[in-house]
Amino acid sequence: MKKFFVSFTLAASLAFAAANDTFLVRNITVHPVTGPKLDNASVLVVDGKISEVGAKVTAPKGVKIIEGKGLHIYPGMINSATEVGMSEIGSIRETSDTGELGEFNPQLRSSIAVNPSSEHIPVTRANGITAVITLPGGGSTENRGFAFGALNPVIVGQSALMHLDGWTWEEMELKRTAAIQMKFPTIQMLSPRAMMMDLPGAFPRNTFAEAKKSYDRRIQAMHEFFEQARRYQKGKESKQPGLRRDLKFEAMIPVLEGKTPLMIVATRNRTIRDAIEFGQKEKIKIILAGLEQLGDNAAKIKELNIPVILGETLTLPSSEDDPYDSTAALPGLLHKAGIKFAFGTFDTQFARNLPYQAATAVAYGLPYEEALKSVTINAAEIWGVADQIGSIEKGKWADLIITDGDPLETNTQIKQMFIKGKAVDLSSRHTKLFEKYMSRQ
Amino acid sequence: MQKILSLLLLGCGLLLAQPPSGIAIRNARIVTGSGPILQKGTVVLRNGLIDAVGENVTIPTDAWVINGEGMTVYPGLIDALSTIGITDAAATPGSARPAATPGAPAATVSRGPEDRPLTTSWLKAADLINTTDRRIESARNQGFTSAITWPRRGIFAGQGAVINLAGDKSNDMIIVPSTGQYLALVNGGFGAGYPASLMGSISYIRQIYVDADRYARIKKQYADNPRGLNRPEYDRALEGVLESQRLLLPANRRVEITRMISFSKELKRPTVLYGLQEGYLALDALQAAGLPVLINLKWPEKAREVDPENIESLKVLEVRDKAATTPAELAKKGVKFAFYADGIDQPADILKAVRKAMQAGLSEADALKAMTITPAEIFGFADRLGSIEKGKIGNLVVTKGGIFDEKPAIQHVFIDGVKYDPAPDTQTPAAAGARATGGGKEQEQQ
Amino acid sequence: MKRFLTALALSAALASAETFVIQNATVWTMAKGKFTGSVVVKDGKIEQVGEKVMVPQGAKIIDAGGQHLIPGIIDAHSHIAAEAINEGSVSVSSMASIDDVLNPEDIAIYRALAGGVTTANILHGSANSIGGQTVITKMRWGTDAKTMLFEGGRPGIKFALGENPKRAGNAAVNVGGTPRPQRYPATRMGVEDVIRQAFIDAREYQRTWEEYKTKAANGERVVEPKRDLKLEPLVEILEGRRDVHAHCYRADEILMLLRVADEFGFKIRTLQHVLEGYKVAKEIAAHGAGASTFSDWWSYKVEAFDAIPYNAAIMHKKGVLVSLNSDSAELMRHLNTEAAKVMKYGGVSEEDALAMVTINPAKQLKIENRVGSIEPGKDADLVLYDKNPLSNYAKVQKVWIDGKMYFEREKDLADRAAREARKKGLLEKEKAAAPVQKKDGAAPRRGGPAE
Repeated sequence: MKKFFVSFTLAASLAFAAANDTFLVRNITVHPVTGPKLDNASVLVVDGKISEVGAKVTAPKGVKIIEGKGLHIYPGMINSATEVGMSEIGSIRETSDTGELGEFNPQLRSSIAVNPSSEHIPVTRANGITAVITLPGGGSTENRGFAFGALNPVIVGQSALMHLDGWTWEEMELKRTAAIQMKFPTIQMLSPRAMMMDLPGAFPRNTFAEAKKSYDRRIQAMHEFFEQARRYQKGKESKQPGLRRDLKFEAMIPVLEGKTPLMIVATRNRTIRDAIEFGQKEKIKIILAGLEQLGDNAAKIKELNIPVILGETLTLPSSEDDPYDSTAALPGLLHKAGIKFAFGTFDTQFARNLPYQAATAVAYGLPYEEALKSVTINAAEIWGVADQIGSIEKGKWADLIITDGDPLETNTQIKQMFIKGKAVDLSSRHTKLFEKYMSRQ
Repeated sequence: MQKILSLLLLGCGLLLAQPPSGIAIRNARIVTGSGPILQKGTVVLRNGLIDAVGENVTIPTDAWVINGEGMTVYPGLIDALSTIGITDAAATPGSARPAATPGAPAATVSRGPEDRPLTTSWLKAADLINTTDRRIESARNQGFTSAITWPRRGIFAGQGAVINLAGDKSNDMIIVPSTGQYLALVNGGFGAGYPASLMGSISYIRQIYVDADRYARIKKQYADNPRGLNRPEYDRALEGVLESQRLLLPANRRVEITRMISFSKELKRPTVLYGLQEGYLALDALQAAGLPVLINLKWPEKAREVDPENIESLKVLEVRDKAATTPAELAKKGVKFAFYADGIDQPADILKAVRKAMQAGLSEADALKAMTITPAEIFGFADRLGSIEKGKIGNLVVTKGGIFDEKPAIQHVFIDGVKYDPAPDTQTPAAAGARATGGGKEQEQQ
Repeated sequence: MKRFLTALALSAALASAETFVIQNATVWTMAKGKFTGSVVVKDGKIEQVGEKVMVPQGAKIIDAGGQHLIPGIIDAHSHIAAEAINEGSVSVSSMASIDDVLNPEDIAIYRALAGGVTTANILHGSANSIGGQTVITKMRWGTDAKTMLFEGGRPGIKFALGENPKRAGNAAVNVGGTPRPQRYPATRMGVEDVIRQAFIDAREYQRTWEEYKTKAANGERVVEPKRDLKLEPLVEILEGRRDVHAHCYRADEILMLLRVADEFGFKIRTLQHVLEGYKVAKEIAAHGAGASTFSDWWSYKVEAFDAIPYNAAIMHKKGVLVSLNSDSAELMRHLNTEAAKVMKYGGVSEEDALAMVTINPAKQLKIENRVGSIEPGKDADLVLYDKNPLSNYAKVQKVWIDGKMYFEREKDLADRAAREARKKGLLEKEKAAAPVQKKDGAAPRRGGPAE
């Protein structure tokens, strides 16, 4: 896998070397994110990679020059949870490829279901987002016991980190298996049948004891799956004769080895707590995703250095008594607790609003620099690609945006975007329809 | 089995058809409910009625005498809103949807108000009484001698009746055959058509009253002079509505209380609100409205078998903490209220619930009123029931100690002047609901 | 009762009739530009607005410290504070009314206030071609349903076109063995038919009653016709006494409704969502309908696939009166930054953008004589932001309605600990009072009173 990845990037850089992915941006305010901003500085990009950053950058002869006076340059933003490219029209099942049937599906690869011609890609890109995590299981909702008729989807597949540019999904891939996504079970007082039909009340509720029992059983089943995967891993290591290749267990090996994190969607206090405990018991690396609250887990998350992917800050508090601003204040609380986090939107439609989610957190207590990091370098670190993207530093991919201001502010315009040093078209279905109908007399 | 039993009871009644000509309870503490408490008085029951009450009453020579020393006599308790005696499937939830027009097939999907959905306004509780309903006896064993019982299915459920909780035939039990229309805000449920929402239910009720008023006018117009006019089309639903002018509207939460107060004004009919557990939050509105109310004694409590980590909202917790203060608060405001015990499974818990309201400030006198004279006043039969006064129906409860004591010891219950004694162990909660028989009529006093 | 309520409302108004001056604020008047100055509030109304004002004697002074003061935000499309949204059983549910199910205790009201919203048009849902009656409310948190109503607010009604009303009529879905009933209409053609037929019925109803009244006035012996609470609101529409707020998406259905309205001689007051309004902006402007749209929602269903965030800007530039609505208890909390999106997508000016959540929706709801801008004589519905309200970093600090403070961030923060403590106290009290589980079979059956 790794080998494949390396050869792939090599091939890619060879292919693009001669293209227009070499240029100099000058007289611009550079926001490297990992260091202080530099006024009237330059960024040199050679063969798609950042080659030099600073006040005095000498450009090779004949290199294309982009004048940046009055403008700003930032690393492209990373949306750490989306369905971009995997779902086109929300209400039409046929256009959605998230949420496969079955309980344990670690072998499913979201990247191969990303449609490079999805209308959502240019739309998302236009707001400064250059890479996204694609979720095989979609949404930030917890495991509610069923999905599209399939009971108990738990391990829903592999989340990929995708560049928002490329002719094929293969060209878009930054990291095919950024994480294995798990939807942690929840205690369901309603029977799955009642939930499936959206008829609460029409069916008897489980008692808490019953619901808890079934929850515990499901967690037990998860442990059993891991146990089986471990046996398979041992069998493979010891070259056990007659061991049949098993795609599910094979996909679990990097998780068991601690190389690939398990991205666990867990929103509320108990699930978060149990998800952490699950990860500890299995001795694996986990990322918590979709938290709506910290509950009493802050110290534990910090202690174990578990990264967190936060969902929308612009969302309603989860209970009536929560302070009105609890969702907007949550990122600030994580920061205070010393927890590393990045933002995701967990959808397609609003993936482009990632920066505004981060900005809202600033209004309610998150330091601005942290907000910016949480959509750039922190995300890159969490996904293990900080050597490639996430800041304006020498040697990284030139995933860059040129703006007329703070990219977290709504009214800021993204003037230009580069992905792997290649200038990306910022027009979209939206701008095209805009132009078409503005011209109607 | 049940049939055999009732036959037996019937036989019994025939054999002992001659009741004593009078019963006197002597030297008892008498809480008359209409005047001052008599510390040592006598009540005489004769011919089913209260013949005399006072401190210096001459006991007729032919009367059975009960020594009331150490006992207290109260007016019989009244449950102001119940389904006691109604076991008829047509009037209770879960039965088939009745047709609005006799003979017409039941509409499964209602397309609008014209289909008269969820309406059985013509149903009379008085016609539905089943004397074998076990709840009659268990309520009696707790001191209840009367109830106002209602069909409870649908939006216009039907007409309530005031009944006595004893009688061989249902006809014997009826005190007032029709005392109002029971309304609930329910919807047809998934796929059942109009109304499918709270909004729809309210709009339906509004349309029905608009229709009913017109129906009354055009019927009168036609009755006055039918010549040259098309006859008004018979409408059973509207007939039922017109013959039950007093209406019961559901109002449990504050928002429902204020909503139903204004709805009542709009409908321009005598209204009784029921529910009222958040009444303490709407005191001024209730006082200003001047509507009588029925308070449900089933105080909200924490649900069992719930997720211990699921913390309820402050609002829910506050209501649970404060609901039982409603009676005391309403008493201070002079709002007329009666109690009902809907949803309390164990009859023994009814008085326990009243005690909770007393612990929250309700006086004993006001508590008693809410189960005696006030329901009688609200539903217009206070001239017959609700207090111990000469000439009223002979419904009494006799207790050792007070009726609101923690473990009330109910000695005798009199209904229509006939004595019923709670059978052994009917007063322990577990037994009261489960017992089938026992504690029947006692015709003799040893 | 009504009198009593009025008295209550009056006393509330009196309690708030404090005279105060907000000084040193960046005032966005939405009528006469933006300046740094003061606003004088008296008896719940704005009395003076200017760089310099006469401070009335005894007036309380509030120093805004340069913070931004805007008129209260108005949401032309909300479903909060209602205990029912849809009467979805019938294709015409005009007899149902949100007025009957308002819930003044919905926490969403407080949260909307905390997002600067002071007025909201509470609409029936979109399950029916002709839906239920709607009401305009002020976010007077802590009062009752009747007090929430915007005094003199015009009665409204919800219409709905496209996928939502026709969905109920789509092929039967088998649920638990019972086929789901099919309801007409199942197509956009059917939606038009339902609306046209309803107005034909309404006209007939109107005529029947007029005839009856004439005959009755002439002393003829006639039978009083039935009153139909479903048709009466439609007659009010025909008579210009009730405003239509029509949920719509696609250009074809928008145009259809405008033409149906033309046919029956009434106006569509607002087109709601109107996501393809940009394609027929010319026709909308000519009809005079307002357009109340989302800033950037799209792709959640087929009819939203041509939705573009430039919609508001295009319609605005082509002469349509545009507002931005929420249709969501969440979005409602930050309509100010939704307005910023109209600057981003289509380059609408700062003040024109903010107008889309203040004075424009006021005009659409015909309440602009009372709210929507900071001008003398208008209701003192004001919002103070710490920063430019079009910035994502801005927070609402204070909100007044009728000159009465309904939200104050500092107070909200300060009250949190007390609320927490109160809750904890109640939980502990309940725990302490929980019955101890013990067997109690030995209770005396006929014993004396318990001690």
